[in-house]
Amino acid sequence: MCDVGYWALDLCGGLEKLKTILRTLYVLLMGVAIVWSYTVPDAVGFQKPGMARIFLWHFPCPMLAVFLLMYGAWCAFRMFQSISLSPFQFKAETNYDAKVLWDLRSVAAMEIGYLFCLLTMATGILFSEVQWGAWWSWDPRQTSFLIVLLIYAAYFALRFAYSDGGKRAAFSGAYALATIVPSLFLVFVFPRLPYIKSLSLHPSDSIVGGLIKGQYGQCVCFILALVTVLTVYLFKMRVQVGLLEIGLEKRNGQLENLGNNPAPTGVVRPVYLPKSD
Amino acid sequence: MLKVDRLGKKYGGRWIFRELSFELNTGDRLVILGRNGAGKSTLLRTIAGLTARTEGSVELPEGDSRLTISLCALEQSLYGQLTVAEHLQLTADLRGCPARIDELLLKVNLEYARSKPTSQLSTGMKARLKLAMAIQSNPKALFLDEPGAGLDEEGHILIDQITEEQAERGCLIVATNDPLERRLANLELQLV
Amino acid sequence: MRSQSGLVTGVLFSVVTVYAISFATLSEKLHGTVVAGLLWVALLFSSSASLPRIFLAEEEQGTAELLRMVGRPHAVFWGKSLFNCLQSVVTGILLCVLYLGFTSKSVTVPWLLAVCLIAGCLSLAGAVTLCGAIASQASNRAVLSAAIAVPLLLPLVSLGVSGVRVALGDGAASEGNGAAIGLIGYACATLATGPWIFAAVWKS
Repeated sequence: MCDVGYWALDLCGGLEKLKTILRTLYVLLMGVAIVWSYTVPDAVGFQKPGMARIFLWHFPCPMLAVFLLMYGAWCAFRMFQSISLSPFQFKAETNYDAKVLWDLRSVAAMEIGYLFCLLTMATGILFSEVQWGAWWSWDPRQTSFLIVLLIYAAYFALRFAYSDGGKRAAFSGAYALATIVPSLFLVFVFPRLPYIKSLSLHPSDSIVGGLIKGQYGQCVCFILALVTVLTVYLFKMRVQVGLLEIGLEKRNGQLENLGNNPAPTGVVRPVYLPKSD
Repeated sequence: MLKVDRLGKKYGGRWIFRELSFELNTGDRLVILGRNGAGKSTLLRTIAGLTARTEGSVELPEGDSRLTISLCALEQSLYGQLTVAEHLQLTADLRGCPARIDELLLKVNLEYARSKPTSQLSTGMKARLKLAMAIQSNPKALFLDEPGAGLDEEGHILIDQITEEQAERGCLIVATNDPLERRLANLELQLV
Repeated sequence: MRSQSGLVTGVLFSVVTVYAISFATLSEKLHGTVVAGLLWVALLFSSSASLPRIFLAEEEQGTAELLRMVGRPHAVFWGKSLFNCLQSVVTGILLCVLYLGFTSKSVTVPWLLAVCLIAGCLSLAGAVTLCGAIASQASNRAVLSAAIAVPLLLPLVSLGVSGVRVALGDGAASEGNGAAIGLIGYACATLATGPWIFAAVWKS
């Protein structure tokens, strides 16, 4: 019995050590990525190839921003599933924990997605200034991503507008679902419309068309993988923070019930009316 | 028929009520009492499914909730431009049940006002119309929020009559500030 | 009465907008693309200002609870959005006829203009009705409903402009056909998913 206890302690300690090693390894790899992105040979096809390296860091941002927007919508869908999509079936077994967890995942995805959306705009604007000679050139890609940014901003405006947690989760979840079609259109269809494509300076088939190859291509993939790992880590941390907040709130509720100011409640009992003679 | 289990509602970081459990069977009439702001109306709306609950569960009578449950509340508004009869027709169409306009207006004594827009009705007349709309589908569970407010003596007799009929059909929950309305019930719940 | 008020406001907004745009571009010979862009901007703001009222008014007047008690969410959504569709199409056609009349712009492909206008107005109505419902219980509902609707409608406007500019003689026919198909698809997607999303939040 005692051996099992020591073995479990060893395992826990081992896991902690492994986590520390992985974190250190990640920081080292990130350092390698930064150095590599400065030393990689120039890509062809850019006006100022040396300055175009920001592309290496720009590329993962819109990918993750769009993925997280879609994942946020998926989590909202799962949240509605955990309640009941049919309002007439007032389900007794409504799973509140699942509802809260999916809402938390949805908002975590949206928050991190919004961060990547801002990074996309920032790196894109720098690229625009260096390569096209203007901070903002009304390029259709830039403009369509600005609208995606506005969609994210509208989602948060809606969340701030509702103070009640249940309403906030339901209405912002509904909006997240409503954004799927417009967002997909803005990112994948709009920039490829023939008329729009003819106006755009933004390369649209760099990856699909195989223009990013060799060491440049490897560096892009490496950075994309590292940023994706960081995204997963941030997402897990955000969900954990949310769960801790909820746990704290629950604990406060329990203390409130034990203290001097308990939540109102009552017991059903028969009515005794005074007899009137 | 109606079962409430560990029901709780939190709003703006404050629990309105918590850990409420009870079960009502056919013939049960429950009166919810409590001071102003104790959460009586919120409790009624939470049980009726008009407000989302924070925890616990509610089992309502089986079937389409538009027909099996009904709520009549003091602060419920009416469409000012529609007449009394049009209101009954509208709720019947939305519920998918017979309108029974003549029968219901006779019952609540509003036949003389059937073609009047509700913007021209007095508070008591509006309360009678809301009662008529509430019993239109012969609900199994009827929820009345401050039913006596704004009604005259004849109106109170009407409430007694509706309560008795409801007890034969199913169950009733009344939320009120008026201790005299305990007469309508065989069970009471004091929110403290 | 409430419905008449919404329609009258929409029509009045159209007339004033057309007059303002025509007045501002008095001495200019406008290209089809510019005309299409201005037309869709007017349609966008006219819709996002007037159409969400249909749900906001229910909450403001306190009749929403009655509807929640007796109505099926799909029936309520369809009732509201069909009225908004009608209002949007009437306002859109009036705005378009007045605008093309004022600017003396000739229509090269009338059927394309009609398809883009009707499908676009239906999409606008479906999306704005849903946004009105989503924002209806917030304290700043009037501003919020327009703020959350506009980003969702901008892709629709881009398709609308692509289609109408071809109908007015700018651009290739294939672009116009693609835009018309896109607008029809957008209208179908909005009106098909709207009731389900609405049902999920109906009793929140």
